[in-house]
Amino acid sequence: MEAAFGSGDGDEEATAVVAKSKASLGQIFEQTYRPWDGELGPRWMRNYAIFRHHVYGVFTSKGHRQYHPMVRLLILIIFLASLTPIPMLFLSSFIGDDGGFFEKMWGINRYNLWGQVLGYFPRNLCMWPLLTAVVVGGMISDDRQHGTSAIYFSRPISRLDYTSMKYLSVAIILGFVIVFSYFAYYTSAIVFKAEGWAYLADTLPIFLGGMLAGSILVITYTSIGLALSSISQSRFFAAIGFLSIIYGTKLVSLLVELQFGTTVMYATSPYDCLAHTGQFLLGIPSNYEHPVSISVVSLMAMNSISIWLLVSRVTSLEVTRE
Amino acid sequence: MIDDDPQSEPPIIIAKGMRKMYGPHLALDDINLEIPRGAVGILGPNGAGKSTLFKCLLGLITTTSGEGSVLGYDIRTQGEQIRSKIGYMPEYNSLDPNLFAVDQVRYAGELLGMNPKNATQRAHEVLEYVGLKDQRYRKIETFSTGMLQATKLACALVHDPDILICDEPTNGLDQRAREFMLQTLNRTVREGNRSVLMSSHVMDDVQDLCDSIVMIHKGKIVIQSSIEDLVEQVDKEIEMVIWGGASKMERELSSLGLETRRLGRVIRIKVENDSTIDKALEAAVSAGVQVRQMKEYEPDLEDVFLLVMDKLGAQIKGTGDLMTAGHTGGV
Repeated sequence: MEAAFGSGDGDEEATAVVAKSKASLGQIFEQTYRPWDGELGPRWMRNYAIFRHHVYGVFTSKGHRQYHPMVRLLILIIFLASLTPIPMLFLSSFIGDDGGFFEKMWGINRYNLWGQVLGYFPRNLCMWPLLTAVVVGGMISDDRQHGTSAIYFSRPISRLDYTSMKYLSVAIILGFVIVFSYFAYYTSAIVFKAEGWAYLADTLPIFLGGMLAGSILVITYTSIGLALSSISQSRFFAAIGFLSIIYGTKLVSLLVELQFGTTVMYATSPYDCLAHTGQFLLGIPSNYEHPVSISVVSLMAMNSISIWLLVSRVTSLEVTRE
Repeated sequence: MIDDDPQSEPPIIIAKGMRKMYGPHLALDDINLEIPRGAVGILGPNGAGKSTLFKCLLGLITTTSGEGSVLGYDIRTQGEQIRSKIGYMPEYNSLDPNLFAVDQVRYAGELLGMNPKNATQRAHEVLEYVGLKDQRYRKIETFSTGMLQATKLACALVHDPDILICDEPTNGLDQRAREFMLQTLNRTVREGNRSVLMSSHVMDDVQDLCDSIVMIHKGKIVIQSSIEDLVEQVDKEIEMVIWGGASKMERELSSLGLETRRLGRVIRIKVENDSTIDKALEAAVSAGVQVRQMKEYEPDLEDVFLLVMDKLGAQIKGTGDLMTAGHTGGV
């Protein structure tokens, strides 16, 4: 160790050697091969290690994947921002604002539940795309950049396991912020207002519709984000690419609508396809003229293409570079 | 320690008629191998098929035809089991620069299925073994090339594999780190009773560590033998250091019918029979040169390699020709 990689020339060890007179000056340490006869765990343990490495890194920088402190701060800010309706609900119940301003703005109804997940401002303008961009940024591109794919594929990790665990890690982080905050919002409304079974029976189908829409959003953003991460060595490219797709398609579709008066171009915008599908699932009037089936088919196509791209790029990751 | 003769044990790697094609390109052609336990060097010029062979042995790519086994596991169907028993040390960087060394090695163990507690304990042990005990809690991005190589070796050793596959383990190392790496690999073979499969362009490293070699050229195995046997097959030579007219001396030797090789003042003369030395001295007298040194030249692996490559028509003048900027640190 010191003999091979130490910064000193070894002379500084002379003092320590005096205390142990039997040790020779040149013998810095005794290298001994220690065998290990433990059992290697099954496939789920290997997969869980990948999952844990990526998800725990969001919470602690020690021993797991390193997320930049600014990334972790941004995730925290977005998470807290997504929970803002909860204090408003508390305030509403605290001041007895039944049917008043607070109730309309933050109370549980179809529009507010849709807006919690799929509202454009600020959720889908500022929060969810940014969250996705920073989380997926280096998820696969870092492995390509640093050659760490060799660490995975020279071990009994299949490409399916690798891809699915990376996918699950991103989806869980996004889901924690997007779907969990939605769940917390709905639950808080029931608790703060002391609502009963009748309320639950009335609102649960709407809530589940929103949850399904939120889950589709998480899946779609994860697919697109990871596909972008897999085609590059740069986390910046994946992040900017994702934001460009979300905002670019939205902007172009808006311009086409303003110019030609048709909403069909929104079928190319991941956000609008999700919003359209979400409106259908929550039973609120659609903002789009084209049928919801077009948005659903478009979402399926976007996910399929993204996953195909992801799989094909992961297949090309090398163990040995040639 | 190894008590038994490795040659008497069953081979750890067997390949029979193994072929691998990438489209129309034939990467491996009719590979027949029987690799015994111990340290084996895999040699060959760039593009010879070494990496493809490693990938086939790791079960990462399917062979076009033929069959093979590693530690008794079929390379076509049991890649997962093979990779559980093998430690692979890649040539290029494969470490996360943001992790501490101990975390990187622990994660490498967890990816094999070790539970976190075992993996952590083992990470400490192997990092000490490879000489990084005091650098365990340093970020990998701060490591020198030698430390990076040692960390990669620790990652490969974390689960105490039966076979260690090392792709250019001494790449970019200074003399001290290189000696330590070879000593560590040697100890792993001799004390740990593990097998090492090592590819390298540095023949001295292979000769220091390995008992036998497999030489690949254009996807074919051209030599599979012990180093000792190979060296014996190379012609014996006398090496003379000449002062004051080496060119003249060379001409004199040629006129006496002796076969020579010359590099500056050093002339090597092929030993034809017992009279060769006398003839060489006669030539020195005739040429009027000083013979500063004269000794029997012991051929090494580099001589064998160059001889074989020469016979195969490869345009290689020295093993330095095989090195890319990556091998030489960009020099």
